[in-house]
Amino acid sequence: MDRDSLNWKVAGYAGEGIMTTGLLFSKTASRHGWYIFDYPEYPSLIRGGHNTYQVHASQNPIYSQKIAIDVLVALNRDALELHQNELTENSVVIYDHNQCKTEISEFLPKANIIDVPFINLAKESGGKEVMANNVALGASIYLLGFDLKILDGVIADVFAGKEEIINLNQKAAKAGHDFVQKSGVRPQIRTEPQKQTIDLATMTGNEAIALGALANGLQFYAAYPMTPSSSILHYLAEKAQMTKIVVKHAEDEISAANMALGASFAGARSMVATSGGGFCYMIEALGEAGVSELPLVIVESMRPGPALGMPTWTAQSDLKFLINASHDEFPRFILAPGDAQEAFELSRKAQELAEKYQVPVILISDKYLSESRYSLNLPENIFKNSRFGFSQTPQPDKTGLYPCYQITESGVSQRSVPGQPGGIHITTSYEHDQYGFTSEDAKERKAQVDKRFKKFELAKKEVQPQFWEEEPEAFLTFISFGSTKGPIRQAREELKRQRVATNMLNLSWLWPFPTDQVKKAVENSKNAVVVEGNYQGQLASLITQETGIIVKNRLNRYDGRPFYPEEIVDYVKNLSI
Amino acid sequence: MTDGRFILRKLSIMLKTYPFNPTWCPGCGNYAIWASLKQGIADTKYPKETFALFYDVGCSGDMADFNRYYGFHTLHGRALPTAVGAKLANHELKVIVIIGDGGCYGEGGTHFLNLMRGNHDITLLVHDNHRYSLTTGQMSPTTEKGTKTKSTPEGSIEDPLNPIAIAISNHATFIAREFAPDIPRLSKRVTEGINHIGFSIIDILQPCPIFNPKQSHEWYRQMLVKLEDESHQPNDRGAAWKQAVRIDKLPIGLFFQETKPAYHQQVSELKEGPLVNKSIETIDIGNLLKDFR
Repeated sequence: MDRDSLNWKVAGYAGEGIMTTGLLFSKTASRHGWYIFDYPEYPSLIRGGHNTYQVHASQNPIYSQKIAIDVLVALNRDALELHQNELTENSVVIYDHNQCKTEISEFLPKANIIDVPFINLAKESGGKEVMANNVALGASIYLLGFDLKILDGVIADVFAGKEEIINLNQKAAKAGHDFVQKSGVRPQIRTEPQKQTIDLATMTGNEAIALGALANGLQFYAAYPMTPSSSILHYLAEKAQMTKIVVKHAEDEISAANMALGASFAGARSMVATSGGGFCYMIEALGEAGVSELPLVIVESMRPGPALGMPTWTAQSDLKFLINASHDEFPRFILAPGDAQEAFELSRKAQELAEKYQVPVILISDKYLSESRYSLNLPENIFKNSRFGFSQTPQPDKTGLYPCYQITESGVSQRSVPGQPGGIHITTSYEHDQYGFTSEDAKERKAQVDKRFKKFELAKKEVQPQFWEEEPEAFLTFISFGSTKGPIRQAREELKRQRVATNMLNLSWLWPFPTDQVKKAVENSKNAVVVEGNYQGQLASLITQETGIIVKNRLNRYDGRPFYPEEIVDYVKNLSI
Repeated sequence: MTDGRFILRKLSIMLKTYPFNPTWCPGCGNYAIWASLKQGIADTKYPKETFALFYDVGCSGDMADFNRYYGFHTLHGRALPTAVGAKLANHELKVIVIIGDGGCYGEGGTHFLNLMRGNHDITLLVHDNHRYSLTTGQMSPTTEKGTKTKSTPEGSIEDPLNPIAIAISNHATFIAREFAPDIPRLSKRVTEGINHIGFSIIDILQPCPIFNPKQSHEWYRQMLVKLEDESHQPNDRGAAWKQAVRIDKLPIGLFFQETKPAYHQQVSELKEGPLVNKSIETIDIGNLLKDFR
C-alpha cells in the first residue's frame, strides 16, 4: 500500500446504507486534507442487489477510481466473491464472519483478513443492526490511521438534528475502532500530516451542476425524475426555500421543458435536467427554444440506452444525438464538463450563454460524472452575475409594434418581457418576421435563419481553451470528452511513473466545436487515440467531420462501466505503433 | 345584440391598423371568441401589458397574429405547461391559454389533467369545435362516436371526452361552458374566469361550418340550455356533475366554482414577490457550501 493514497471499498446489499457509509468515509478522508474520488455502483433496484461505494483518496490530486483495492469492507458473502479479483496480497478485508457465513479462505487465500463482528458490536454499543456499517467505518478509520474524532464530526454534520442517531453511530464507530486496535492489528497506513492546506469541497457532478446554476442566478427549475439526473432535482428541491428559487416536479419531461420555456419567456433563468430517454421528450421544446430564441439550459446525464437501457450505469453515447437533436437547424451550445470543478464552472457558463445568445445550451453529463464525488476547490462564495439582452424600456417602432426579432449586427435582439409597457410582442414557434408575426415569406424566412446563425458565428468566439496537458517527447496524445478526463489523467500519473510520456486533450466544449485546437493537437502529435464511452466512436467521427482528420486509434468502452486507469495504461503498453 | 354589434364594429375599425387579418373561414366561431376575449380582457380594467397569452396550435392559435397582448405561440398541446411556467416566474401576470379541443384534450391531455390538480391560476379558453379543423377536419377527442371524418371514414369508434365532467371531478376551481356566438355572455364569462384565482376552464362550443356542418348554429340552438334557467347553483358539485353528463341537452353557464388557494399562493418561495423581480446580481453560496466540507 502506498503511503500517500488508499483505495477503500464497501460492498453489500442495496438498502443497507452503503451510499451513506461511503459518504461518511469520504468526508472523513477529505477533512484529513486528502483529495478523494468516490465511485458508487448500484443496480436499478430499490432493495436487494449488490451495491458498492469506492473511495480512492490521496494526499495528491486524484482523478478517478481504480481497480486494486487496499481495504475492502465486505458486508455480505457476495462482496467477497464479486470483488476477489480486485484484491492483491497487500489488501486488507474487513468482514463479519458471523454474517458472511463462509470460509473466507475459499476466496482469498492470501489476503489479510480481519474478522470484526459488525452486528454484535453495533448491538453491544447500544445501536441497531443497521449501525453495523459504522462499526466497519470505525475499523477502517483505525486501519488507515485516520482520526476517530474527525469521523465523529462528520457523523454529527451528516445527521445534524438527529441527536440519538449521531450518538449511536458514533458509539458504533468507536466500538469498531477499538475492537481492531485491541486485536493487535497495526494500522496499514500511517497517514502523514496533510500536505495541502486548501479547504477542499467534495461534491458529485450533479451537485456541482446544481450549485453552479444557483451561483449564476438560476431562478426556475423543472424536471421529471430520471436516473442519473434525479439528484439535481432532489438537491435543488431541498435548497429551494433557502435560495428562493422555484422547483417544479412536472407531470412529464415535455411539461418540464415547456414550463422552463414559459418561465424563460417571462424573464427567469431556467433549467431542466434529464437523461437520454427524457431528453427525447424534450426535443420539441429544444427546437422551440431555437426558433423562438429563448434561453434554456438542458442538462442531459447519459446512461446506456437506447430506450430504458441500463439506468444506473454510464455511457458517452448521446454525443451525436445531442448535437443533432431536433428537426431543422439552429444554433446551440453543447458543453461537457470533465469533472465536478468543470461541472460547476460550465453550469454557471451555460446559464450565461443561454441568456446572452438567446439559445438552448445543453450541458452533457453521464452517470459517472453525475454520481461520482470529486474534490474541488471553490475559494469564492460570492458570485456576480450580469443580465443580457433585456430591454429596460422597450418601445414600439414606427409601425407601432415592438421588433422582438429585430435583425441586428450580432443577430441578438433585445427582449421585452410581459409586464413591460411598450414591449408587447409575440414570441413564437412559427417562422416569423421581426415582430414575431407568422411569416412564410421566402425573404423573411431567410433573413431570420441568417439572423439566428449570426449568433452562432459570434458564439464560436466564446469557446474557451480545452483541457490540454503535454509532456516533452510524448509519443501519444489522448483525445476524449467529458468525464473520461478523470481516468485518462489517472492513467497518465501511472504512465509518468513508468516514464511513458503522453499528452492529453479533453474536450468540454463540443458545439461550437473547438476545431483549431483539436486540429493543432492532432497534427502536432506523433500518434493520437480517441478514448470514449460508446461503440461507434462518435467523438472520433465528429473530429473527422469538423477537421477532416481521421484518428485511427480508438479505445471504446460501451459496457456501462467507466474507463479504469489500469485499462488505459494496458492499452498504451500494448499499442503497436 | 347591441353589445355584439358594437364590439364587431370596434373590431373592424381595429382590423385596419393590424398587419395581419384573420385567416378563419367565414362563419367560424373563432371571430366571436376573439371579440369576447378582447372585451373580456378590457372589462377587467387591468393594464394590457399585464396579460400574457399562450396560444396552442390550431385555428384558435392563429389569433396570436391578430392580437396585441404579450403572447407566446407554443407547440401543439404545450400551451398549458408553458403558461404555468410563466405564471410561476411572474405571478403578477394574468395568464390566458388559447387552445383547441385537440391541443387541450388530446395532445396536451396529460398537462390538462395534471395542471388542473395544481389549481394553477390560469384561464383556459378551449375552442371546442369537435374537429381538427386546421388540418382539414379529422376527428378530435370531443367528436361524437360514429362520426365520419377524413381519419375515420367508417365512423369514429371512441366515445367523446367530457371535459366538464373531468374538470368537476379533478379539482378545477372554475368550470364553465359557453356558446361562441353569444359574445356578451362569453365576454362576461371570460372576465370572470380571469378574475377567478385558480384554474379556470371555459369550454367554448364553437361551430365549424366547414368541417362540422352537422353541429350548426341551428343544432346548437336546439341543444343548448342555460344553467341559470335550470336553477343551477355553481357551488353544488353533485348538481354540476349531473348537468355535465346530460345527453338530452347541452347546458351552458357556470357549472362549478370554489375558492381555494392557487398553486403560486402555496409556493413559499414566492411569498416575497415574483421570481423575476428577484435580483441575481450577487449570489452568496457560502451557506450551501457548508454541506460539502
